[in-house]
Amino acid sequence: MIEVRHITKTYGNKDNAFKVLDDVDFTIPNGTSVAILGKSGSGKSTLMHVMSGLDKPETGEIIIDGENILDLKEKDIDKFHAHTMSFIFQSFFVQANESCYDNVSLPLEITGVPPSKRRSKIEAALSAVELLDKKKAYARELSGGEKQRLAVARAIVSNPKILFADEPTGNLDSVTGGVVEDLLFDYNKKNNVTLIIVTHDPDLAKRCAIQIHIKDGRIESIKGMQ
Amino acid sequence: MKIRDITIRAGRSLKQAKARTLLTSLAIGVGAFTITLSLAAGAGGRAYTNQIVSANTDAKELSVTKAQSTSQQGPQKYSGTTATSISNALGFAELLTQSDINRIQKVANVVSVSPNYNPQIKYITRAGSDKYVASISTFSPSVTLKYAAGSTSGDLADNEIILTEDYVQALGFKSDNDAIGKTVQIVADKLSASVYAPESQTFTYVVKAISSKSGLAFRAQSSLLISNSSAKILYSYINKDTRSYGNFILAAVNVTSADKAQSVKDTLKGMGYTAQTAADILGAVNTFINVLQGILLGFGVLAILTSVFGIINTQYISVLERTQQIGLMKALGMRRKDVGRLFKLEAAWIGFLGGAIGSGLAVLVGTIANPFISKALDIGDISLLIFNPLSVTAVIIGLVVVAVASGILPARKASKLDPIKALRTE
Repeated sequence: MIEVRHITKTYGNKDNAFKVLDDVDFTIPNGTSVAILGKSGSGKSTLMHVMSGLDKPETGEIIIDGENILDLKEKDIDKFHAHTMSFIFQSFFVQANESCYDNVSLPLEITGVPPSKRRSKIEAALSAVELLDKKKAYARELSGGEKQRLAVARAIVSNPKILFADEPTGNLDSVTGGVVEDLLFDYNKKNNVTLIIVTHDPDLAKRCAIQIHIKDGRIESIKGMQ
Repeated sequence: MKIRDITIRAGRSLKQAKARTLLTSLAIGVGAFTITLSLAAGAGGRAYTNQIVSANTDAKELSVTKAQSTSQQGPQKYSGTTATSISNALGFAELLTQSDINRIQKVANVVSVSPNYNPQIKYITRAGSDKYVASISTFSPSVTLKYAAGSTSGDLADNEIILTEDYVQALGFKSDNDAIGKTVQIVADKLSASVYAPESQTFTYVVKAISSKSGLAFRAQSSLLISNSSAKILYSYINKDTRSYGNFILAAVNVTSADKAQSVKDTLKGMGYTAQTAADILGAVNTFINVLQGILLGFGVLAILTSVFGIINTQYISVLERTQQIGLMKALGMRRKDVGRLFKLEAAWIGFLGGAIGSGLAVLVGTIANPFISKALDIGDISLLIFNPLSVTAVIIGLVVVAVASGILPARKASKLDPIKALRTE
């Protein structure tokens, strides 16, 4: 369960303060899929950053499975990022000069998985996104859709509990975007992983169980919550 | 994250920027090259002088002179003992007399005192050969000599002589081996004899050995060697009844063991003598070598100092180029410490590469050049550049440390990077 409690985040200095998030408060059950919708500048990306512990708000709490991650020390936050959550970005951020295998290997290296145990995990993740035949290819040789599939493989290889996706199909055409979407929702359902997608695409948002609309840093509406 | 994985990732990122990595490494390589060569030259030089000194001096032997009054300026007052000094353009040199030698003999741990007889002979010859001038020195059994023919064990007998290769040819022997066991004649003038009735005597010696030309020995190259007692006989015949008879510039003092040399030296100093041990001679030469080596080392250090800025610059650019990669790594939970380590290890790789290239090249060039240097300096089969694997390793390790130290600032920049800013695309 992810509990977002009264989050307020301000940018700028005192005279020119700008509230990106204004008293945002909601709860997400485990294993569901959530779309955070809003126009650009609405604060949806900042909300994702705060929820994942990458960014710190002025006030509020982010309680994941009973623990306020904003109180954690940097070391423990890192551990949290490495073991519990993963990210998929609009611009993929795969390492072009590394092979697909090495790209997927990075999260396992970070968590200290020994080389002998990495192989099977990496190959399982690559075959889940149907890129096993390209494991030795450099990421720069892949198409856009393949790059994002590689990013998905990298995100799921360490078996996270929460998957954050920031405009995962924003840079893809509808066909390849659809493939990536299917991958994400399949993974969400099969593994009971919480999927949180930040998007401004209503069609993508409709596939999620819960839709949270953000406008000017405030929650406009929450749909689909039981 | 494990160090092994970070090291591999560091190596991989360097491989992706091959040209930049290589150029930065080469800058360090120049320093490594200079330092490795200077260390090799220093080691070689010291080994060379060590061999020279041990080939020409004996650790148990001190060369003793009378302490010279250097403070005195202007004409010296006649003291009635002027006979014991010789004057030359540079001033007066106090000489050792027989009573000095007797005093030195009584010092504790002194085994023997042998004045440097240095007999001035007229010429050396043999039957059917021309006459040649020659300088005669005293043979010391503990000094290492290289022989082209014959050999010695212990001291020379009174009628034995060691010739040099030059004299073998000049005196008309067929070969070095041919000369062994043959006799030569030395003719000396009695200096006290009247000009109108010159007296001279012929001394006959058996050739015991032929000293070969060596890069090490000073004496063997020019002087013919006879035993101390036969030198005394020659000296006495030549100088008896002259004013300088019984006065010596130099005396060789043998002590019981090498570690007693310093204490005997101190005692002699208190008695008004100047003594030089083998260690003193070696020390003086080595100081010279150390200064030269220090200058060369200084250039190497300067080159490395320059390359330090190169590394810092390269690594800063690398951090800027890889902002997104660093951001992603941090978002994936890579610890700040590990991000810093990644960049420090990249710097370490650069240092290692530069050190290995520079030192390797130095060893290669030095090994190829060694025979040519030896030939050009005419020092025989001695290598002037000695590469000690330990010091080469130390140079490489040292450079890795320097590189890591210069990587600290860029690494800190990388580790402090905010992942949100790094991953912002709009």
